[in-house]
Amino acid sequence: MTEKTNQVKPGICLSWDEVRKELPDINGDEELFKRIWEDNDALGYMYIWQLLLSF
Amino acid sequence: MDLVPFILGLYLIYVSCRMPGRLVVFIERFDVEKLYEQRLKRYVTAMRNEKPDMVPIRPFVAEFTAKYAGYTCQQVSHDYNMAFEAALKCAADFDWDAIVPNMVYVWTGLTQAIGLKYYGVPGIDVPVDTGFQYREPPEGDAFMKEDEYDQLAANPTEFLFNVWLPRASKYVSAQGEATSLRNNLSFLKGGMAMLSYFNAFGPQIERMKNESGTVSAISGIFKAPFDILADKLRGYIGLTMDLHERPKKVLKACEALMPHLLHTALSGADPDKNVPIGFWMHRGCTPFINKEQFHNLQWPTLKPIIEEIWRNGHQTLFYAEGRWMDHLDSFLELPAGSIVFHVDQDDVFEVHKKIGHKFCISGGIPNYLLAYETPDNVRKFCKKVIDEVAADGGYIMDASAIMQNEASIENVKAMTEFTRDYGVY
Repeated sequence: MTEKTNQVKPGICLSWDEVRKELPDINGDEELFKRIWEDNDALGYMYIWQLLLSF
Repeated sequence: MDLVPFILGLYLIYVSCRMPGRLVVFIERFDVEKLYEQRLKRYVTAMRNEKPDMVPIRPFVAEFTAKYAGYTCQQVSHDYNMAFEAALKCAADFDWDAIVPNMVYVWTGLTQAIGLKYYGVPGIDVPVDTGFQYREPPEGDAFMKEDEYDQLAANPTEFLFNVWLPRASKYVSAQGEATSLRNNLSFLKGGMAMLSYFNAFGPQIERMKNESGTVSAISGIFKAPFDILADKLRGYIGLTMDLHERPKKVLKACEALMPHLLHTALSGADPDKNVPIGFWMHRGCTPFINKEQFHNLQWPTLKPIIEEIWRNGHQTLFYAEGRWMDHLDSFLELPAGSIVFHVDQDDVFEVHKKIGHKFCISGGIPNYLLAYETPDNVRKFCKKVIDEVAADGGYIMDASAIMQNEASIENVKAMTEFTRDYGVY
């Protein structure tokens, strides 16, 4: 994880806004891409914070 | 005429004649459901600092479950299914209202897959029948260095991935280092193992409910920003030095951790808003830090989180490990009913006098009593607690600290049976 994230919001490791900039134009449903990205990203967030707190 | 009871009666007569076995199952199921509802109501009523039908019993039984069910500490630490079975056996055999589905919470199979350095694992680092241990690194090997506060505060999540985890795990490569098979497997196996473990709690909670009518005692986890800095980042000795040498940096880091710890607490909270979020209190108590440090740093970065959790409709269980008497006045600033205060080393009678009018209290039965004294002495102490602390409700029976395998089965039975017999309102 060497990317510069520049955000500290809880629940997010790598924001959709940042990833979106790296993608070409989207001709499909962007909200769907965003939602699924954020759902999976939240699992990464859970992983590190649960490691810190629970284990 | 209401036909429903009549039709139901006919149906039961029919079932009892044609399928007597199924009727027994039906009645048992009905009884367990009823028992669960009674216990949930009793437990929640007490936590709201009100008077239920009887004193609820909610023991935080950890390695005690292994002792009772015939497992070693290695088995319940390293195989969570064995830990679940041990908890279920206790739930079935003791008349307890609520327990934690697995109080031997740290699954060492997971910590081993990730390569975490800081656990003493039963069967490897400590004897097979000793509970797992947390091993704080020496001051010089702390997982966060004294000059890294700004980096932590700038983006705590990124810091944890890039700086903390490579130091806390023997497998994870630091930034700039070559990656490795073990590095890659640590994330893959760690992530999948964590999901496997967390996903197993749902069925375990259902089994507790359906097999013995036992309530899952807490939901979600919270730790104070200051405690996290002390426990997992700077270490206690490093942090106490920082409190003198760079207190503003410590405060800034605690403030940066606050929204993340709140988010994590709420993400695991009970959607039904019945049972509290567990708050495991470590390093803010007497004598780890002084009162000035508590008031200038610990409390200002803790109180707003508890208030926000309460605004979201959840209680917080203050599992007050150690002595917290010096800080009870601060806790009284919180809204009535917003917390359940669990007594460890403090005098449960004094705590009740001080904050019992505002918050439910649990625990306070000394662990040495349960381990080394006679059942008669256990009953005498429980009687005093029920008479003086539980008289008006708002009390939950439990030991002071989590019960490990030193607790005597006979004494735990004495605590349970006496509370059931004597603790009726």
